[in-house]
Amino acid sequence: MFFTYLRRELRRRRKAAFVVASGLALGIALVIVVTSVSAGMGRAQDKVLQSLYGLGTDMTVTKAAAPAASSSERPRFRFDAQDDGSTGEQSSDRVMVRGFQTLASSTVGKVDAQSGVADAVGGLSLQVVKVSGAFTRGRFEQGAGGGQGRGRGGALPSPQGRVEGGGADFDVNNYSVYGTDVTKPALGPLTSSKITSGRTFTTAETNAKVAVADSAYAKEKKLKAGSTVTIKGSTFKVIGIATADSGDAAANLYVPLKQAQTLAGAKDKVTTIYVKATDSQRIGGVKSEIQKNIPGTTVTTSADLADTVSGSLSTASSLAASVGKWLSIAVLAAAFLVAGLLTSSAVSRRVREFGTLKALGWKSSRVTRQVVGEAVVNGLVGGALGIALGLAGAYAVTAVSPTLQAQVGGGGGGEGFRGGFGGGPGRAAVTKTLDVALTAPVSLTTIALAVALAVTGGLIAGAFGGWRASRLRPADALRRVE
Amino acid sequence: MYELRAVTKHYTRSKDTVQALDGIDLTIPDGDRLVIQGPTGGGKSTLLQMLGGLDRPTSGRVVLDGTDLAALPEARLTRVRSESIGFVFQSFNLIPTLTAQENVETALVPLGVKPKQRREQAAEALKSVGLGERLAHLPGEMSGGQQQRVAIARALVKQPKVLLADEPTGNLDESMRDEIMDVLERMWEELGLTFVMVTHDSAIARKAPRLATLRKGRITVKENARA
Repeated sequence: MFFTYLRRELRRRRKAAFVVASGLALGIALVIVVTSVSAGMGRAQDKVLQSLYGLGTDMTVTKAAAPAASSSERPRFRFDAQDDGSTGEQSSDRVMVRGFQTLASSTVGKVDAQSGVADAVGGLSLQVVKVSGAFTRGRFEQGAGGGQGRGRGGALPSPQGRVEGGGADFDVNNYSVYGTDVTKPALGPLTSSKITSGRTFTTAETNAKVAVADSAYAKEKKLKAGSTVTIKGSTFKVIGIATADSGDAAANLYVPLKQAQTLAGAKDKVTTIYVKATDSQRIGGVKSEIQKNIPGTTVTTSADLADTVSGSLSTASSLAASVGKWLSIAVLAAAFLVAGLLTSSAVSRRVREFGTLKALGWKSSRVTRQVVGEAVVNGLVGGALGIALGLAGAYAVTAVSPTLQAQVGGGGGGEGFRGGFGGGPGRAAVTKTLDVALTAPVSLTTIALAVALAVTGGLIAGAFGGWRASRLRPADALRRVE
Repeated sequence: MYELRAVTKHYTRSKDTVQALDGIDLTIPDGDRLVIQGPTGGGKSTLLQMLGGLDRPTSGRVVLDGTDLAALPEARLTRVRSESIGFVFQSFNLIPTLTAQENVETALVPLGVKPKQRREQAAEALKSVGLGERLAHLPGEMSGGQQQRVAIARALVKQPKVLLADEPTGNLDESMRDEIMDVLERMWEELGLTFVMVTHDSAIARKAPRLATLRKGRITVKENARA
């Protein structure tokens, strides 16, 4: 009887049922879309951070800010003026440590020894400026009036004329080199790239003259696996091409750490230490531990870095978090209220019906159950509609994949992001812009949340109606018959 | 058997107090057929509600077979209604979305009768009021007389001790009225139940063996020699 009655009543009042279900559906769909877009934002942000950090890195350790570097560290190029007629090419490489701030290699061990640190690996970020070209001397051309007699006073006359011709044609090649610890391939900036051609370093190649080139740089310089590159006079064999998962790569060329230290004359020095924590929930604690125990370092966690993400990704993210969340809550609350009021008013219209059932001996609880049952089914129908609508919305967002821009490390927070996070040499704050596609992944948790909301909506509506129905007295109902 | 002693009922509407029943003393023996008449607002329906356990008196006792309905807790009163009292209303009060058979079944639901047996008993009751062919019809597909017959089948399917009817022919034309009265009288005779009916219809009242008149909450009962 319960189900027959319920089914018939829902069919009879399908318009009202549809209004209630639609309201709930709208609220639930909004929750699904907002939740999935927020998840998508999170993923996009992770992607941005991953492209900077590499996979599996929880934080980086760099040298704390020091007074401005002295002018002596600026690159200096010296070229000789050559003999007449000589057009020989000259070149000069300057290898600089990015940010000019280094930590001793021993710090890596110290960091690794801290509690909560699963692994730590050092890296040396270099900037190479190569200037090459030819320098031609000018020629002296004697003037037309030269050598005319002696001047007054008997002094020898100076030769008259001017220097003509001569000049310089130099090419400046500026690229980044990253010295990576080949013994720990699971950590460091190279993890944010995939080897798309050739191979990566073997753990034995700690001091081998081999290099992995970033695909964009390799394309520009026409490098492929097997080619060679010369850095400051040393020839490296390109063993593989790496393609960044998203955004820009951390460096143009990756070489074994020891080689990078030799090139820069920075023996036993690193610019950045990549740290993996044992427990991702304890990152804050590990950060303060390192800062306390190893003075003179700056520890930057993914959370710190996430705070510096700006641009449309950040705007959309905060929109989803604030406007989206409150809009969903408002629509859901309104839908719950409307469902409750409509159910309550439906009970009012059925006073005689429920009164009759009570007169026939139906208990109040049975009548209430009938009302709540109808409301819950309405809620579930709304939930099903809402899930369909929400999935369609999330699918549409993923299909369109709007591109969001993320600027990382901009503003005043740049000091901590030197070295490990790319960018040019010098002490200026580094801003890196990345384009990421927004997706809206719908998780099972989101679906479970939607079902819970649907049932809650139904129960709230049922509570309104059930309360109204339970208060009916059979005599009150029958009195209206007169 | 009903025994009503000093039953009063007051209603408070806004600031006024309406005295619907004013010290009713009434005995209705088992198997009696009592018709209650009186002007509108005289307290007829209120008295019927007291008899049916649908409402409680302000004071006094409403005793049915030794049980004071006025003092019973709600759950017990509900059980008395479901087991012992059948109602027939002026507006039929059928559930519009349920078929004739399902409407009759609603009276058996609180008694915990199994669905199959419920269906059989409902079909039997409908046959007894001449609606054996209309089991699957919705109320909207039936005439007023047929709907009232469904309501009578619903009231009687549980074989109650008492049948209470509130203006059962009030919404019907003359031919339907006679048809319904024939059914009710036949049932009363066949089942030997106590039958109390409120009506405005003088023609029906004239046929009643006992006639009670309610005026301003007070009752007078007289035997009808012509019946």
